[in-house]
Amino acid sequence: MSNYHLETKDINVWFGERHVLKDVNLQFPNNKVTALIGPSGCGKSTFIRTLNRMHELIPSAGLAGEVLLDGKDIYGEAVDPVDVRIRVGMVFQKPNPFPTMSIKDNVMSGIKLSGITRSDTADLVEVSLKRAAMWNEVKDRLSDPAVSLSGGQQQRLCIARSLAMNPDVLLMDEPCSALDPGSTRRIEETILELKENVTIVIVTHNMQQAQRISDQTAFFLAEDNTPGYVVEFGETQQIFYGPIDPRTNEYVNGRFG
Amino acid sequence: MSMAPAKRKLLSKPSRVEDKIFFAVAKAAGYSSFVIIGMILVFLSIRAWPAFESQGVLNFTFGTFWDNSLTPPIFHIGPMVWGSLLIATLAVTIAVPMAISIAYFIEFLAPKFIAKIATVIVDLLAAIPSVVIGLWGLGIFSPVGAGWAQMLNESLSGVLPFLSNSAGTFLRSPFIAGIVLGVMIVPLISSVTREMFSQIDGELIKGALALGATRESVLRRVILPTSAGGILGGVLLALGRAMGETVAIFFVLNLTYDRFNFFNILEPVGGNIASLILAKFGEAAPIEVEALMAAGVVLFIITLIINALASYIVQKAQPWRKD
Amino acid sequence: MSKATFVARPKRAEPWTRLGSKVRLASLLTILVPASIFALFLFLTGTDFMAGLVTVFLPLQLLFGAWAGFYAFGKRGILDGLLLVITFFLAFFVLVMLASVLWSVIEAGFRAMSPHFIYQNNVYVSGKTGLEIGGAGHAIVGTSIVVGITSLVTVPLGVATAVYLTETRDFGRGTVRTLLQAMSAIPSVVAGLFIYSLLIISGWSGYSGLMGALALIPLMLPTVSRVAEESLRNVSRDLRNGALALGAPSYRAFLMVTLPAAQSGLVTAILLGIARVIGETAPLLLTMALANGTNANPLEGGMTTLPSYIFSFIALGDPSSIARAWGAALVLLIFVGLLFAAARVASAPKKVKKRSA
Repeated sequence: MSNYHLETKDINVWFGERHVLKDVNLQFPNNKVTALIGPSGCGKSTFIRTLNRMHELIPSAGLAGEVLLDGKDIYGEAVDPVDVRIRVGMVFQKPNPFPTMSIKDNVMSGIKLSGITRSDTADLVEVSLKRAAMWNEVKDRLSDPAVSLSGGQQQRLCIARSLAMNPDVLLMDEPCSALDPGSTRRIEETILELKENVTIVIVTHNMQQAQRISDQTAFFLAEDNTPGYVVEFGETQQIFYGPIDPRTNEYVNGRFG
Repeated sequence: MSMAPAKRKLLSKPSRVEDKIFFAVAKAAGYSSFVIIGMILVFLSIRAWPAFESQGVLNFTFGTFWDNSLTPPIFHIGPMVWGSLLIATLAVTIAVPMAISIAYFIEFLAPKFIAKIATVIVDLLAAIPSVVIGLWGLGIFSPVGAGWAQMLNESLSGVLPFLSNSAGTFLRSPFIAGIVLGVMIVPLISSVTREMFSQIDGELIKGALALGATRESVLRRVILPTSAGGILGGVLLALGRAMGETVAIFFVLNLTYDRFNFFNILEPVGGNIASLILAKFGEAAPIEVEALMAAGVVLFIITLIINALASYIVQKAQPWRKD
Repeated sequence: MSKATFVARPKRAEPWTRLGSKVRLASLLTILVPASIFALFLFLTGTDFMAGLVTVFLPLQLLFGAWAGFYAFGKRGILDGLLLVITFFLAFFVLVMLASVLWSVIEAGFRAMSPHFIYQNNVYVSGKTGLEIGGAGHAIVGTSIVVGITSLVTVPLGVATAVYLTETRDFGRGTVRTLLQAMSAIPSVVAGLFIYSLLIISGWSGYSGLMGALALIPLMLPTVSRVAEESLRNVSRDLRNGALALGAPSYRAFLMVTLPAAQSGLVTAILLGIARVIGETAPLLLTMALANGTNANPLEGGMTTLPSYIFSFIALGDPSSIARAWGAALVLLIFVGLLFAAARVASAPKKVKKRSA
């Protein structure tokens, strides 16, 4: 019996013949935030996409190893990727609400798209928007087009629609990098509230952000032309203030980016 | 306290002679479009006017009978106008589901290799001149189409009265003409649709998939709504093209001038403005030629309206597109 | 301290392609069962293929598709299964129809083809003459002359219009674009009527190759100008501005920088424009007289082009004439195919060899 909702065993990734990620073994503690940090191009975004079976959508993608969701390998033979994605949600770097839909329809879009039927639509919309800390801002204009919102609001809308699916895990790929500091702060506050019910894995370039919101941190590195791998993984405090590996020390102290 | 200095006018008029000539030539070329379109409208209308006058504009456009042996001769194109609309609509109805599925197939379903082959076949068809399609329509398709028409007639004419047939033959009916025309416009609609599909922001589709979308719901709730405006515009353009088509259906449609055939698509009774012009042109006396000009004016106005509508819809339907 | 070392990609690195046994079984049944039932049905009852296809095969296939989706993926799989069946069915249908058109042209065209078809004309040919005599040589000459004259006028005009739209700041540009769009809406028969009414009825000229060429101008102009405008637009502003900053006058910046950079696009514009009008029939039928002999004079006399050749022989109706029409259709198709292929080559990005310093 596993303690973790989500863990990976010996994940290796190739694009074509190029080996880009090697032997990633991570365990994501339940209801905590795990940050993935490291310089650009070391494979963090690629890795996070293996966790909800979005990786296979990239042409020439290759994978070895296991991703265990509640003990079962999501790449097992009879596993429907749609089931995986319902339980493991994702928020992207650039907010991508559906332009043809209103705010309320966007929140429900995940439900509709995956063919689930629910009768408590209005309640679900309210609950999800509240969890994403934007109910008060939009409660009077739920039928307005989603694109009429600001960038930060659109991103919170994307979070709300992922939450409407009631996922066990929420993956976030640099969710604040396209946003201004004000919106970033609000999203970080939201993440801290969400983690009570959802396990969160966040890729971030911003080390201060990782320190502010995460409980655990994994440091990825890829030296020239070698596959990326996890140099060190542990409690955030320890990674930033007492790292074991000297390379981690160099990175978190800003000696290379 | 001082005010900002007065704004100066920035001149960008050409100063050298060669530049002046360059821009003048370009301008002349641009304005030549005014001239060409203007001349077409003006000359056709001038020549056509006597016919409109003597027949009456409304009678001409909506009445029946085309007979140059009477005195005064009657030239009415009502059945032709309706017939053009009928077979163009038939063509579009048949072509749209096929074109959208093949665009979806090529863009999202097929493995690369098969998608390439399919693209080549569809693009090749787009290149085939309409007279060759007409040849195929007459030589190869007509008997097959007549067979299908007969089956439809025998099985369904009880339930659907518009599938009746009293002439004994199904050749040269709007049904056959509509299918031939449909085959001709499938590549047009499919290439517009494929263009629209390929321009959909990949992030939207990825976002939908990450939420747990099934293939069908991505199509129905994301792909189609986002590209609807552009596809509709393409469909209207194809409609306009179908309305103006001449030689593709000239040999596969039987023109009847004395009555309207509103919905009986299996009857060999039809109309098409462009075919009328071609058919009557050879032996027309001057007064009939004027009437043919008038028919051309009517056709041109119809296709202009359809095209304008198409542009408007494409603009209107996608306000979030940055172009 | 370890550095990660490469491991070669193993043979089976795509675990998501391992379809579960349920999916495999369902797919297999869906592909095999309706087709077999349909084949059996045809065999036993001898129904017409098309009728059976729509009434027996399609519903069966839809049913199986829906069931397969349900069996493999549960309730949400039903619509997915139906979608796949419908799309494959329609796409297949379309491809078959299109392939039939292409195939019939090639097959029937070949039967009428022979070396002399290309260069002989039909002066001694009547409806009863076998295919050993006569050809479409005169039509090929006619097409070349007529389309050649049209291009001579339209290409400079179209490119100059594109220059107008991209290089000047004139307020009329929006209107000109709209007008060009309107021009592309002109039904081809109306273009023929226009020249007829302008020049032929009024007595300025008789039916001639030149008249046909003029009628094709409004049909070719929008294509040439649109593609030319696009390719001029694609030339980066920085290139032009660089020339201007060096002190070049506008016309030089255009001729020496923009034009060469847009070269391949302009060639494409020309080729596509020619392809657009080479198959036009209706306008030529209204402005030109047909002839069986070869006539290289565009100013008088009848002249036949490939499309009007095809049209006139279809109209004759007897098998030998129809065969000739197919032959000319094949020749026309080959020309158009070559034009499109050349356009594709012209617009392909050029590979620049970088020399290492």
